[in-house]
Amino acid sequence: MGDTSPIPLTFRLVSGVALVILLTPVLIVVLSGLNSGEYLTFPPQGLSLKWVAGFFTSPIFLPAFLFSFGLATVTTIISTILGTMAAIFLTRSRSRAREVLRGLFILPVVLPGVVLGLALYVFFAWTKLGLAGSFPGLLIGHVLVTMPFVIATVTASLVDFDLSVEDAARSLGATPLQAFTKVTLPIIQPGISAGTIFAFIVSFGQFELTLFLATPDMQPLPIAMYTSLRYAFEPTAAAAGIFAICLVTISTLVTSRLVNLKKLLRRR
Amino acid sequence: MAELALSEVHGRRTGGRRLRPTLWWLVTPAILFFVLFFLIPIASLFAISFDKGAQGVITFQGNLTLDNFARIFTRSLYYEAVWRSVWLGATVSVLCLIIGYPLAFVIARTLRPGAALLLTILVLASMQLDMVIRLYGMMVLMGDNGLINTALMKVGLISAPLPLMYNSFGVIVGLVQVTLPFMILSLVGAIKSINPSLEEAARSLGSTRWHAMRTVTWPLSLPGVYAGTLLVFALAISSYVVPALMGGWKVVTLPIHIYQQIAEVGRWQFGAAIGVVLFGTSLLAMAVYILALRRQAGGRM
Repeated sequence: MGDTSPIPLTFRLVSGVALVILLTPVLIVVLSGLNSGEYLTFPPQGLSLKWVAGFFTSPIFLPAFLFSFGLATVTTIISTILGTMAAIFLTRSRSRAREVLRGLFILPVVLPGVVLGLALYVFFAWTKLGLAGSFPGLLIGHVLVTMPFVIATVTASLVDFDLSVEDAARSLGATPLQAFTKVTLPIIQPGISAGTIFAFIVSFGQFELTLFLATPDMQPLPIAMYTSLRYAFEPTAAAAGIFAICLVTISTLVTSRLVNLKKLLRRR
Repeated sequence: MAELALSEVHGRRTGGRRLRPTLWWLVTPAILFFVLFFLIPIASLFAISFDKGAQGVITFQGNLTLDNFARIFTRSLYYEAVWRSVWLGATVSVLCLIIGYPLAFVIARTLRPGAALLLTILVLASMQLDMVIRLYGMMVLMGDNGLINTALMKVGLISAPLPLMYNSFGVIVGLVQVTLPFMILSLVGAIKSINPSLEEAARSLGSTRWHAMRTVTWPLSLPGVYAGTLLVFALAISSYVVPALMGGWKVVTLPIHIYQQIAEVGRWQFGAAIGVVLFGTSLLAMAVYILALRRQAGGRM
């Protein structure tokens, strides 16, 4: 049997190792947040919801969680609008600038987050527009790093879009706007939704870029967790982590329903 | 070439391009945003890195000099950090490839679509989860009083905690955890695009499974291997949070130097110069990647 199976046994074993590496830290965070003791021991001392309750009264982690949620929401709205428009251009225009723009729009992902954060900080300090240490400044950084994900997912769904459907609507008397909102938008909507979720998650978990742009009054969750982790293991932080894990798991499941993941992988 | 130009002119005349002449307005906001908040800031960073060092001064003085870069490459503290970052990045890339290839192969080739989807979701979810949260888990696991050490001591296998963290080993494990999903996702697409019948043909002609894997599947998956390695390398050398938490300030890499120069010493010019070196290293890796792809493609590219 083993020999006819398409996957060698060694590969199955190493795959198991890879899954353990990927999932163990997540499991440990969940256990730490639900553990009744201060420290997670082996074997665990018992289950308790006190750290979860502690998270809801925490003066640090609850505001940080809510701040991250708000920041990610605003970031996502701006990124989705700008990114979707750009993706439509990238798939429909025949201009030669297209390839250059495609490269430009992917660059923020390639550029080290620390370098981008520093560059924005220097720029904000030079221009004196009041962006340094401000919410709009932080927002600008997050839009930069999330837009590439929106552009990639929406482009992937637009590549398969049959333009003649829109042309048919136009020839039947629809205005360009009507043709777009009534015909194109509903068809590419799953791609846009997936891009939206990607953008939200990337913004919510963004650390390196945020390092230079956050201030003590504007602390997103990753920064708050990092600051507390430098001194001690705060089980309340793990409880906050549980909520973040739920958020990511749900959004990944939703994404997998919205877009054909296989298709997305093939385009990478 | 001339033919191509001609057909372009022809296309323009027949109005093929003019069907949707108003498309540019769609991309203009994004372009403006990127020029103003991406290209100009990066240019500012380059400018300040060539400016004469002045502690606590962030404004551009215009005293152009190469001193900041000379300092990086003449002081062992800094050039060793460059070397350390590159070495860590390379090690992590190779480890991710060894650990990630089999799982990518399973996802690409499993005959059960449900299993492939489940594994993909697991990989995607672990990639998207906030790094700091995952590092929390790693630290609880690998610290001196962490789960691994206490369990081993309880069983009596060791008498003193193993140094799993606050050293290069801890940083490497942390970086592998964080970057592995990117390697796997880069490989899945590449392996999927290889027709399984090629491998079957090799095997029916008497090749062993490993021989077929080495001479057929592996060479054909090289584009994905290169892409994944590049991505992991770039992510690993630019990570701040992993060496900071898993290395406990003892494994000093380029991003840590950048942050210290800015936040602790206020040397903006020098911090920016280290940033430029880090960016340059990423670009160099990308150049190597493109060269490798070209060589692999032979005359086809």
